Amino acid sequence: MKRNWSKSAAALLVSVMLGGALAGCTGSPGENAASDGKLKILHNWNGSTGADAITPVEEVIKDKTGVTLEWEYTKGSETEKVNQIFATQDLPDIYTGPAWGGELDGIIKAAKEGQLVDISDKLKDYPNLAKSVAEENVPPALYEKAIGGIDGKKYLLLQNQPATNEDGMDWLYGFYVRKDIADKLGVDPQSVVTKDDFYNFLTKVKDADLQENGQPVFPLGGFSNGWAVGIGNTMFYPGASYMDKGDGTFEHSFFTKGYEEYTLFYRKLIEEGLMDPETFTQTDPIAKEKINQGRIAVLAAHYPAILDASKEYTTAHPGSDYIPIGPLERAGVEASRPVDLGIQGNNVTAITKECQGACVDDALKFLDYMASDEGFMLARYGVEGTHWKMEGGKPVADAEWFKKFNEDSTMKVRKNEGISIGLESLTGLDRINSAAGGDIWAEPARTEAMESARKILRPNGIEVISAYNPGDVITKAPEWEMLKPSMDRMNDAWEEAIFAKSDDAAMKIINDLRTQLTNTGYDKAMEFTNNELKGKEVVTVQMPN
Amino acid sequence: MKSKATSTPRIAGETKTTGSRLLKRIWQHKIFYLFMLPGIVWFFLFSYVPLYGVQVAFRDYTFVGGFTGSPWAGFKYFQQFFNYYQSGDIIRNTVVISLMKLLIGFPMPIILALLLNEVRQLRFKKTVQTLSYLPYFVSWIVVVTLMQRLLTPYGGPVNDLLGSFGTGPIQFLNNPGWFYQIIVGSDIWKNIGWNSIIFMAAISGIDQQLYEAAKIDGAGRFKQMWHVTLPGIRTVAIILFILAVGNLMSAGYEQLLLLNGPATASMGSVLDVHAINSGIREGRLSYAAAVGLFQSVIGLILVLTVNRIARKVGDVSLF
Repeated sequence: MKRNWSKSAAALLVSVMLGGALAGCTGSPGENAASDGKLKILHNWNGSTGADAITPVEEVIKDKTGVTLEWEYTKGSETEKVNQIFATQDLPDIYTGPAWGGELDGIIKAAKEGQLVDISDKLKDYPNLAKSVAEENVPPALYEKAIGGIDGKKYLLLQNQPATNEDGMDWLYGFYVRKDIADKLGVDPQSVVTKDDFYNFLTKVKDADLQENGQPVFPLGGFSNGWAVGIGNTMFYPGASYMDKGDGTFEHSFFTKGYEEYTLFYRKLIEEGLMDPETFTQTDPIAKEKINQGRIAVLAAHYPAILDASKEYTTAHPGSDYIPIGPLERAGVEASRPVDLGIQGNNVTAITKECQGACVDDALKFLDYMASDEGFMLARYGVEGTHWKMEGGKPVADAEWFKKFNEDSTMKVRKNEGISIGLESLTGLDRINSAAGGDIWAEPARTEAMESARKILRPNGIEVISAYNPGDVITKAPEWEMLKPSMDRMNDAWEEAIFAKSDDAAMKIINDLRTQLTNTGYDKAMEFTNNELKGKEVVTVQMPN
Repeated sequence: MKSKATSTPRIAGETKTTGSRLLKRIWQHKIFYLFMLPGIVWFFLFSYVPLYGVQVAFRDYTFVGGFTGSPWAGFKYFQQFFNYYQSGDIIRNTVVISLMKLLIGFPMPIILALLLNEVRQLRFKKTVQTLSYLPYFVSWIVVVTLMQRLLTPYGGPVNDLLGSFGTGPIQFLNNPGWFYQIIVGSDIWKNIGWNSIIFMAAISGIDQQLYEAAKIDGAGRFKQMWHVTLPGIRTVAIILFILAVGNLMSAGYEQLLLLNGPATASMGSVLDVHAINSGIREGRLSYAAAVGLFQSVIGLILVLTVNRIARKVGDVSLF
């Protein structure tokens, strides 16, 4: 009897173990058909994080829409995440992520293969969503490629496209030097204009043999994985990925003389020890550690990132703030030209096939609410009456919360209230200035620093690009599937080239990839792109943003 | 009487009898089979069940079609790989790094096991063994982060030490001049202790009388090692070598992904990383599966070949 019991127990355990393991390998789509008011959102931005528990902002959302939110955040590559969720069928109800690159390509592929919910017929019932994807509110090439319809059906919402020019965020990308170092060397950062000036300035920093805590100071450095040391490209070609060949047709800038000069210039910086060689392989914590130890003289990135990363060092060492260099010369562009910026929506949002029936209505109701003015301000400012209030028709931050938020460098206090947890990626057109009265949580010192940098770097103002981007058009070419892997290697090839032993070796790396591009259909794809773009205004000049 | 009955030719009942005997013997040793069960289940679930996914390499994989419903593509993705302008370099890099790991890394655990076997201080022996096992349990991401901290020319302790001797600083990482040393060296450091366990076990199984006989014949410690210990672990070493050769087309995904940089890409781009990047980063799952299958097929051919050679030359083989 006892033996039988133990046999049965063993058999049961084995069955449970095998069954459990096999069940773990399976999954059925459309599980969230009968909605229980819970929506799982994937916020596909590397490093984004949320709150410890349901937040006051999410409580308001629950009251207004009946929806409870469950978040998932990405740690690692956003493109890999897109491919992973559809390949494994581990789908959220709502996806939101970058509105460009491999992430957007992956989402379009998913739409074509029946992984997303067609919302074409439902949009008319959700006016805020309909407005955010109206043709006049979306960059033309992006509209044709994705937002306006994929195979005749609408699947995607675009988020944070500036509603007006005043809403466009200029991140002030550039090279910034530590003020104390520039002073020590007796160089006015605004006198550094040409590429030769820039090279000479970095050489001067190196020759000064500066040390911090017994460690050498790098003349030029960046953040993790090389971000964004490569932005000096605009000194060699006009910055856009595609250039006018002079006959009204376009070619990829990778094929131009300017690209070669750009590559060899950076190779010289590496070879002569003017740029931190670890910048392409270091992690973000190591990059920030170097900045906080005062070991980077010139930083390349956008200004908010530099201000955040250097806060600790500049607080401990007054007068060591990073200030802008230049403005540096721009290749092939009149000096008086405003800076051309590609300011466009940053998120595409979609409802996946995991969400069916009532879940789709819940998701659309929630998204439409977030895209309303009320939802927009809720996501960015918090709960009205608690975190902020309206005074004279303008939102004003609560002084106590303002102090709490600004004293918390980890952002945890803000996130636990429901601000910056990803809801800001779901609020339709960006109208931070035109409808929401400006960012009420911005520190005055930071705003002042940004304004000061803006005056230096944007003497002629900015011009928001609204023309067609050939990069969006070429993806429709029949050769794209074959061509894409080679196109994806351009950045890797550039990085390998700047570390090459000689200029010839660097050019061989570039030329080998050019040959591969040609062999995989580049010429035909460009012919297709040029035909599609005939008579249209095309982006050929662009600064990083 | 019983043996006579079993030796009589019985065509129809033969299989049944053999099957029953096998089951009976399994039941007799059920505890041992129970020990094996988790391993068998693990292999079945993670090595045999996924084999049905191999067909993806011959299909145009789509999310909606999945493994079995996507359209057939023949050898399209194999062609794409062999036409890829860097496929030759990638295969070469993989083989070079794997060969180095095999030729330099394979004897190291044997040497460690032999050395440990000669240690008479039991506490010292145990300490060394434990310390040498530890790195195996540390993930590559931690190992590489440690290496970055230790080896950086900008404040790293290794370069500080070199500096105190009047040399350096040396850029160890992302430097083609040090790439192979770093890859092979870190691989040995991480795995030497763990891999030595099986050799230690083999050594402990050698009959002590052989050592005593060797001593009587006048053999010293070295000669005992040479003539008794090494032949005693020869079979295990050959079996492990055959298995290691099967991994020749796999140079180590995590290690190469983390330690390879733009400066060393011409030496460090390997099949494992290429397959993962193509599949996960670029979403080309069929292509990645084709590259993976190519690796496995070559690995299988190598195992079969080396197994055959080992059987002919050394009379030792896997099967």
